[in-house]
Amino acid sequence: MSVAAERVATIPRPAANQWWRHRLVLVGAVIGALVIVYQAWSNGYQWPSALEWKSLSTGLDNFQTWLSDQQSSAHPNVVFSVLNGISTGLDDLVSWLATLFHDLTWAGTTALGVLVTLRFGGVRAGLWVMGAFLSFAAMGLWEDCVQTFALMFAAVILSLVVGMPLGVLAGRSDRFQRAITPVLDAMQIVPAFAYLMPIVILFSVGPGAAVITTMIYSVPPAVRITALGIRGVPANTVEAAAAMGATRLQMLAKVQLPLARKMLLLSVNQTILFALSMVVIAGLINTGQGLGSLVTNGLNTNPALALLAGAAIVIMAISIDRATEAMAERTDPARMHVTEAIRGRLRVATAATGAAIGLAVGIGYALDAGSAYTNVGGSPDWLQARLQSALDYVENPSTFVFSITSWIGNHLVEYGLQPLQNFFVETPAPVMLAGLTLIALLLSGLRPAVMTFAMLAVIGVVGEWGSAMDTASQVIVALVLTMIVAFPLGVWVAESARVATIVRPILDVLQTLPQLVYLIPFIYLMPVSIVPGIIAAVLYASPVVIRLVAAGIREVTPNTVEAAQAFGATRTQVLLKVKIPLARDAIMLGVNQGIIMVLAVVVIGGLVGSGGLGYEVAYGLQQGQFGPGVVASLAILALGIALDRVTRGNRRPRLEGNR
Amino acid sequence: MTRHLPRRSRLLLPLLVLALGAAAFAAVGSATAGAKSCGTVTLNEQAWAGSTANTYVTKYVLEHNLGCKVNITQIAEVPVYQAMADGKTDAVLEDWGHVDQQKQYVTKQKTVVMIGPNGVTGLIGWYIPDYLMKQYPQFKTWKGLKGKETIFKSPESGSQGMFLGGDPSYQQKDRTLIKALGLNLKFVSVGAEAAQVARWTQLYKQHKPVLFYWYDPQYLNATYKLDMVQLPKRFKGCRDDEKQGGDPKLYACAYPTYTLEKLFSKKFATSGSPAVKFLKKWSWTNADQSLVASYIAGDHMSPDKAAEKWVKANPKVVKKWLT
Repeated sequence: MSVAAERVATIPRPAANQWWRHRLVLVGAVIGALVIVYQAWSNGYQWPSALEWKSLSTGLDNFQTWLSDQQSSAHPNVVFSVLNGISTGLDDLVSWLATLFHDLTWAGTTALGVLVTLRFGGVRAGLWVMGAFLSFAAMGLWEDCVQTFALMFAAVILSLVVGMPLGVLAGRSDRFQRAITPVLDAMQIVPAFAYLMPIVILFSVGPGAAVITTMIYSVPPAVRITALGIRGVPANTVEAAAAMGATRLQMLAKVQLPLARKMLLLSVNQTILFALSMVVIAGLINTGQGLGSLVTNGLNTNPALALLAGAAIVIMAISIDRATEAMAERTDPARMHVTEAIRGRLRVATAATGAAIGLAVGIGYALDAGSAYTNVGGSPDWLQARLQSALDYVENPSTFVFSITSWIGNHLVEYGLQPLQNFFVETPAPVMLAGLTLIALLLSGLRPAVMTFAMLAVIGVVGEWGSAMDTASQVIVALVLTMIVAFPLGVWVAESARVATIVRPILDVLQTLPQLVYLIPFIYLMPVSIVPGIIAAVLYASPVVIRLVAAGIREVTPNTVEAAQAFGATRTQVLLKVKIPLARDAIMLGVNQGIIMVLAVVVIGGLVGSGGLGYEVAYGLQQGQFGPGVVASLAILALGIALDRVTRGNRRPRLEGNR
Repeated sequence: MTRHLPRRSRLLLPLLVLALGAAAFAAVGSATAGAKSCGTVTLNEQAWAGSTANTYVTKYVLEHNLGCKVNITQIAEVPVYQAMADGKTDAVLEDWGHVDQQKQYVTKQKTVVMIGPNGVTGLIGWYIPDYLMKQYPQFKTWKGLKGKETIFKSPESGSQGMFLGGDPSYQQKDRTLIKALGLNLKFVSVGAEAAQVARWTQLYKQHKPVLFYWYDPQYLNATYKLDMVQLPKRFKGCRDDEKQGGDPKLYACAYPTYTLEKLFSKKFATSGSPAVKFLKKWSWTNADQSLVASYIAGDHMSPDKAAEKWVKANPKVVKKWLT
């Protein structure tokens, strides 16, 4: 039976399957050779110091000092003036927005959010937003939420202002699309942690720097989805318009943009969510208050508060997501026929909404709420005390929980992380470099292999080979764990509709939770320094891998499955011999996305003891050691690109957003 | 916080509750009266509980006695110099002596001004639990550690002993120090202070050996019995700020006794605000600071409430600051 099933499975792409197996064997052989070399010459040949660019770090330090000196000089240099202008401009924008919300009073702000959502998004979405506002107040985080919202609002608006025109351009010109795609790829591959140092040098610390960090991450989805929308407009419609004599501008304004409406709104939605996911990292270089700062500072003084702030970020993300989605749906002109009468009624509703908001602001002032954003007395303390006692419990070494978690943590380090770290760090650098390049060549092809080689060489040249290999070993461990968790779950989700409905909301929450928030409980649960970062990385990357695996297995064409069943294959046989082999591209994509996400968390883990490149950046950031910090950032960037290229597989470079 | 609008009729209240379901909010009127021309003061709060105590006690006095509006920023020890130069924050109430930064911002740029000590004396060093010191009296000085490093072995230190490093944002030179002293220790940083505390307190509770970066005044020192390991005596020209670079041997000395300093941004120092006069005068003792810090970090009291409690219990000290 299994023979028959295998034959069926091989019919669609017989050659590819063989080729795939062949390659995996070769990759195994390369790894085997590396291990042999490691055994024979460990620690024998490190990156030659003659090939290190040592003055880079001091050069960067001098640049920072020079830039800082301009502050007090009588005739500041024009470079400084421009950078300073940008950062103060952004600072002012954020504080202006925060003041705006203050001036509306809490009553007015709540009314504005809820009623506008109610008017355009319907009752359900309105209730979501109201629930969010209530929970912010109940958690005692109102003021911080307002600050975060102001920061995010500024970042989203600017991202759209920058991203949408670029997206339109990319949608209309193939050449521009080709030119911009690698840049967008790089912006999303590189962990945000690596941007921080250069941004601090150029723009100092503050809300402005936080906005710029956020934008680097939230511009790409705006560009990608907009371009996708413009490209999705049917060609015959465009041709018809051209035949009618429409100019390029008319074409854009009257045909392409209106028809791409849905995608444009989706790009707004995605931009907001991407921006929100950066709030915590941006908090590291922000000066003001906000949820991000609560999380980063809470790591030091108040972990319970940090967890609460993380919850607030999730609530904010989910409610904004629901609200924008509902608004996009309900205001779709294609959805209903708007008669004069309905239009009139809608106008009245809009006017009523406006009046109600005005009234709420008035009431806010009448109640003397003024700028005093207040918290419910007592309740947040109570909530924090509860969280704190939970943390105290898991931290206590005499409890049962601790005996399990510390056992897991210690074994993970002793038998997983330490040996692998030694293997990566102590294998002679040139051999490791050659081996990784070969693997990239086998898995992904010539061009990615060249890129991998170049990036690894950059890491060596900037003098971060050891730290980078340390980080790489952690990434591999986290990736393997992610695959062990996510692969069976993904298969299960694809096979069972009930599991899918249970798992989905959990995955949603895991994906919106900021990376750093994951770390907090594990600092206490698994106090071996490297472990919290690894576990957090697994939790962060798993949802995406589960989704990709599930999608890949579901997409196997029903006829293939039916054919296999006609030959009498059992369910397990169909799964093992048909579905999983055919879904291998999706699974490879899962590995690729997983490795990038894992890297992002492992470097943030530097803040809580993951060592490697992440620690270098954290130390540089907090000790003002700009040169070494930027150098480590550069190495993270190079490592990210290299890991992406090694695991990219032989699929073509993404032309459109696939996240 | 200074709006004084009349309270309207209570009829509006139910309407509001119905319309917004905003019953969860409690409107607390702004209570500051008699605002002088103090304006806004921005204080920087740092990562340790002692700094939080400084910041919130002065905040309480600034708000309640001088009618200032106080903003708080949270920037790490070193980058805060640049932030003061940019005018993003006005004052740091506890600086642990950053030679390199002071050269750049105080001496050269003159954008940051040193105001004088805040009354607290700081110690940094290598600490071990008291039970371990009883077991190995030779650990009184660093020389006793030699050859005994593997006692401190941990999963992540491999064959070496573990030195548990401090928060990466704190003043430290331990990586260089270990190298200079030729000890077979692996520097392991677990990152932020909460993580470091979690780690060593867990080992302490299990009565296991641990050697770590620690400091005083610190509220936990009242709960845990810790002893300092003596490092080599300080010599002329010995260095503490790793940013200065140079031969590791230059760093082979104990940390100095820190007279903790107050720093103002130039702009704030010359602003003539009544806050400047008060903050120049403000200073308190190690005991005071540790008490407030233990309210905040030990009893999990909100910093504002902890400050209020201390200020109300010490009217004489506060009066002295204000005259």
